[in-house]
Amino acid sequence: MKLKCFTIALMATALSVATAAADQLADIKSRGTLICGTLGTAEPFSFANPSTREIVGYDIDLCKAIADDIGVKLQMKPMSVEARIPELVQARVDVLAGNLGYTPERAQQIAYTTAYFVSLQKLLVKADSDFSKIDDLAKSRISAPKGSSSERYVREALPQATLLTFQDPPSAFMALAQSKVDAMILSEINAEKFVAQTGQKFKFIDQPVAEEFWGLGIRKNEPALLEQVNATLKRLEQSGEGQKIFDKWLGETTAYKMKKPFKFDKAVSDPVLRPAS
Amino acid sequence: MGYEFDFSAVLTDQYIDWLLAGLRVTLLLTAGAWALSFVVGTALAVLRATGFRPAVWFVSTFVEIHQNIPLLVQILFWYFAMPEILPESWREWLNRNNSEFILAMIAIALCHAAYISEALRSGLRAVPVTQYEAGRSFGFNYIQTMAYIVVPQALRLSIPPLVNHSLLLFKNTSIAIAIGVHELTYQTRQIDSDTFRTFEIFLVATVLYLVLSFIIMAVGNLAERRLGMGVR
Amino acid sequence: MLEIIQNNWMLLLIGQYPNGPLGGIVATLLLAIAGLALAFPVAVLLAVARISPFRWVSLPAAAIVHVVRGTPFLMVLFWSYFALPVLIGRPLSGFWTLVGALVLYESAYLAEVIRAGIQALPKGQEEAARSLGFGYFRTLALVILPQALYNSLPALIGQFVSLIKETSLGYVISVNEFTYAAAQLNSQLLVQPVEVFTILAITYFIICFTLTQSARWLEQRIARSRQGRPGRREAQPQTDILATEPMP
Repeated sequence: MKLKCFTIALMATALSVATAAADQLADIKSRGTLICGTLGTAEPFSFANPSTREIVGYDIDLCKAIADDIGVKLQMKPMSVEARIPELVQARVDVLAGNLGYTPERAQQIAYTTAYFVSLQKLLVKADSDFSKIDDLAKSRISAPKGSSSERYVREALPQATLLTFQDPPSAFMALAQSKVDAMILSEINAEKFVAQTGQKFKFIDQPVAEEFWGLGIRKNEPALLEQVNATLKRLEQSGEGQKIFDKWLGETTAYKMKKPFKFDKAVSDPVLRPAS
Repeated sequence: MGYEFDFSAVLTDQYIDWLLAGLRVTLLLTAGAWALSFVVGTALAVLRATGFRPAVWFVSTFVEIHQNIPLLVQILFWYFAMPEILPESWREWLNRNNSEFILAMIAIALCHAAYISEALRSGLRAVPVTQYEAGRSFGFNYIQTMAYIVVPQALRLSIPPLVNHSLLLFKNTSIAIAIGVHELTYQTRQIDSDTFRTFEIFLVATVLYLVLSFIIMAVGNLAERRLGMGVR
Repeated sequence: MLEIIQNNWMLLLIGQYPNGPLGGIVATLLLAIAGLALAFPVAVLLAVARISPFRWVSLPAAAIVHVVRGTPFLMVLFWSYFALPVLIGRPLSGFWTLVGALVLYESAYLAEVIRAGIQALPKGQEEAARSLGFGYFRTLALVILPQALYNSLPALIGQFVSLIKETSLGYVISVNEFTYAAAQLNSQLLVQPVEVFTILAITYFIICFTLTQSARWLEQRIARSRQGRPGRREAQPQTDILATEPMP
């Protein structure tokens, strides 16, 4: 037991050292770079441009705006879906732009900025299947990316379904394409590219499983940084620059043909399960 | 602000259920892959012992391939690539029957079969030729001699490396997490992402793995003492 | 398949570098080299401690080795991932997280390789050194270890192959290495998993097979050079040395 006390004491000191370093915004300024975490495999939010192998996308442009406003350089850090919150909590990144839906549980771990996207989580099934409403899939096999909020929505909306989770969204989709599962849950937007690329026939179950509000993630108890990032989002909303970034990656001229359904300066709120479609 | 351990947060009824479910899958996966790998490994070793050129070539290729590619890649290959090559009806059957479990089991079993056949090969070489001759003079044919006289002795001679590989096989079932098999590591991460009590749940899982590993080591020692032939 | 390689060989070789983190095959090799280099001194210490005549030295060392050997590499990796940054009080990159796990895990296995090398030496070596008036540590450092390490060279290469194979598990925590690069490629191409995983498997095979073969060659050379020395214990069958490695 002595050893355990020692370990705990050690961890406690280590943690208190980490928190004593305090103000992250000051840290960012002194080191001259903002480290922004993204998924890197989620077009159009963050993905590797095949020709330059550089990570680009909606998330990256938002991070750039934040870095510019602070007046520092931007450094991108790709990370997996399930690693993103630990990475943020352990201060390996300053800002997390990782398709992060708001949930009350997560809000206990990290702080959210105002909204940067609103996403509909839907079930994708093969076009020739007989599934047409959520309850048809009550006892089916459903794939999801590991550590994602989609995973939770399935568990809550379809408690009897078997959930198979994968390293990243493409792997979860590949499982559906190969008929290893009956359905995949994902944000509607992510599905577009998958469906277009495979040439196979898929369809959505019309009613969404959940509507969720995405915010950027910041470490808890960093009021200065949170305020700084929210100020940038507000500026983007008011100047129309945010609209431009949205249109560039998601708007009418893109494959997604979306109209911006949210405001950058509005606070994120709890997800809505089974919203009317 | 220190880190306070709170095991009650991860050891609620629900999470204990998850852990036990994971433990069950880990044990099933270990047992299935272990049995399969011993059958295939023995067959490979015997095949190689025939000295028949194409057989030797086949076995050594099998062994090199499985020893020189990471098990994770073998598992990913079996899961995502192999079914695409299989006939449609097989694929459908697999998809209806927990393909991730079956394919992970096959991948782990074949990889370890390569190591087991190598361990047995050394064992077979250590069985004196006179044993083989004695078997034949008994009127046994080649297969019978192998099955009743030579292979059992080779198995007993190779107990230490075989135990070692059984242990590795058990530990390597955790890699099946990559294709979503709901084994112990998977459930651990699941509980972690639900509770964020990382240290507690990983401590519990590590202790579970350790206890099982020590049981395997102990059984191995016992087997070596009871059945072993003292050759190292 | 050739077309995939043609269009993406840079990604597979060096990841997103220089526009992003170094990855691909080069990162895999660097990870394995860093892991081996750092695990080696720890392993020598562990091995020496394991055969120490003092129980208060040998017992803890044996405990460490057994605990590590009883834990799956993935668990060690997760510990390195979650606990290491807390212990050292600052964030760690994916690269060093994986190196940390490799060092932790491989030290135990390497220590056993080195211990076997030491114990395979004829007793006369130690006695000769002691009769020359060498103390325990000088005997160990000047007489025993150099020979034992030289003799375990092939097994060390075998262990390096294990390290290369273990780095692939970095994929699970998104470390930029070869398997991760292939996964990125898969998420771009999406419908060609057979081709991508075949490329991945063949490349690993070429790298590891070349190394295993050179280990075998080296082993035969060493065995030949040792031949004719009196008092030598019978050499282990070569397959055992390569087969006792851990091998995710």
